[in-house]
Amino acid sequence: MHRLLRWYGADPLHLIALIACFALAGYAGLKLLSGDLIGILVWFVGAAVIHDLVLFPLYAVADRSTQAVVRRRSVTTPRVPWVNYVRVPAMLSGLLLLVWFPLIFRLVGPYRATTGLSQEPYLGRWLAVTAFFFLVSAFAFALRLRRERSASH
Amino acid sequence: MPSRVQRLAERLQPPGPFRRSFWRSPIRGPWLTAVFGSVLLVGVIAMFLTGLLSYAAYNPDLPENDLTSDKGLLGFYLFPWPTDPVWLYRFTQGLHVLMGLALIPVLLAKLWSVIPKLFDWPPALSPAQALERLSLLLLVGGAVFQFVTGVANIQLWYVFPGDFYSLHFYGAWVFMAAFVVHVVLRLGRMVSALRSRSLRQELRTDTAATQPEPPDPDDLVSPAPAAATISRRGVIGLVGAGSLTLVLLSFGQSIGGPLRRLALLAPRGQVIGDGPNDFQVNKTAAEAGVTAAQAGSGWRLELGGGPAPQLLSRDDLLAMPQHTARLPIACVEGWSTPNQAWTGVRLRDLAGLSGVPEPATVLVESLQEGGAFSVTSLRRNQILDPDALLALRVNGAELSLDHGFPARVIVPANPGVHNTKWVKQMTFKA
Repeated sequence: MHRLLRWYGADPLHLIALIACFALAGYAGLKLLSGDLIGILVWFVGAAVIHDLVLFPLYAVADRSTQAVVRRRSVTTPRVPWVNYVRVPAMLSGLLLLVWFPLIFRLVGPYRATTGLSQEPYLGRWLAVTAFFFLVSAFAFALRLRRERSASH
Repeated sequence: MPSRVQRLAERLQPPGPFRRSFWRSPIRGPWLTAVFGSVLLVGVIAMFLTGLLSYAAYNPDLPENDLTSDKGLLGFYLFPWPTDPVWLYRFTQGLHVLMGLALIPVLLAKLWSVIPKLFDWPPALSPAQALERLSLLLLVGGAVFQFVTGVANIQLWYVFPGDFYSLHFYGAWVFMAAFVVHVVLRLGRMVSALRSRSLRQELRTDTAATQPEPPDPDDLVSPAPAAATISRRGVIGLVGAGSLTLVLLSFGQSIGGPLRRLALLAPRGQVIGDGPNDFQVNKTAAEAGVTAAQAGSGWRLELGGGPAPQLLSRDDLLAMPQHTARLPIACVEGWSTPNQAWTGVRLRDLAGLSGVPEPATVLVESLQEGGAFSVTSLRRNQILDPDALLALRVNGAELSLDHGFPARVIVPANPGVHNTKWVKQMTFKA
């Protein structure tokens, strides 16, 4: 028994908890998969893959590129760090796009027939909200610049 | 002493994200992970409970109501859904959807905070680690699956492979299995990480003063941290701002009235007008395939279940005692309407007329041919409630065809799709 646990690599509670997890997940999973087996498997595993290997690299690269621009331009631009004044509105706008892109890009086929409403307003609304975020951020940055300048004089 | 396997793994270590020095964020560390983890711990439990309530609200133990008839033990907790307070489903389901939206940035932040672990090398050193990583696939896949199916469904974007109810219900149980084991295995770590730094102190620390956390046994802290470009307080604030933005631009669709205009990006954030029938339509008559001709003067309501079936015209129904009840429509998608004044015949009067004054259930059939919920069942407490109606009029006007003309069911606290529109037949069962 002792050797078995050493081979396993953790205490017995760890093993029991995981067996219970897989038993319940298997019970529900068989019912989940009783429909379109391949489609659902692709969606379930694909959900993790899309986040880890597509969404995360995309936003990480976008963030690093922005920072690279900040560093390269830092000779000519004010010394107040401005990356977060781009990051915050961009991330909020991106978050709204991530959640509501089916409506924003008018991908919902049955939307009008089902609700009697139009998908047309959503793209304009998202753009307006995005513009608002960047405006507020620019305003906040201008205030910060003024404060820094008056402090250095 | 490293084993031969370990030494071999080290020699074969791939470059890039599989090297710990690839991950340079100076704020990644167990404390920040634990902050997001503790929010998710509470949030996920609340999501699961409100989700289970929504499942119970459909009374899936009654004929025709269960889209997950294979549920087995997973329906162990079901109970007759009450009719009081009238806003019960409006509240629980509005909460479920709004909390779900608010948790999206928290989930993304939590996944960001632990992403280096995905590239751990070697992938597993023991069977224990291998099993735990398999459970993490269920955890992350399950979480993203639940959020994606939920968010797509509230936008009517039916791209998922199957019926939403069964995917989201069974998916929730798979996810919760992995969630519980994750909490059991990591709760102690979370608590000790939370205790390792003072939240108050962190909220006072700006970017310039932000230092990496000390090296941790889970290797979350970067061995080669870059200079901080944002503080921990900044990241927590950003995540909070994301949650707040999503909620502020959505909650109006669950409140209605003038606040609906604030729900700029929510699927039910558009105001239709101010006429008596100008409130949100779940599914139009055209989409349900119901025509004005079917609902015209030739329409009859068939009451069954008693000694002899009866046919009633709309005039017959209008000649019966009329009752007015102020009730909301509340959808599984999280949107709802404020109370509307519905006028019509009490369901219990119809039960009496059919010859089944003490019904256990009623089977309600719509003119809508096929499609989910064109046939549903109501339970005794829903039939006998004095505010449960077969409505003929709303807000002082005739029902519009889109709102169920000639007659529709409206029951307090009932999920929207069980308030059957264009009712054709009601069969009471003792």
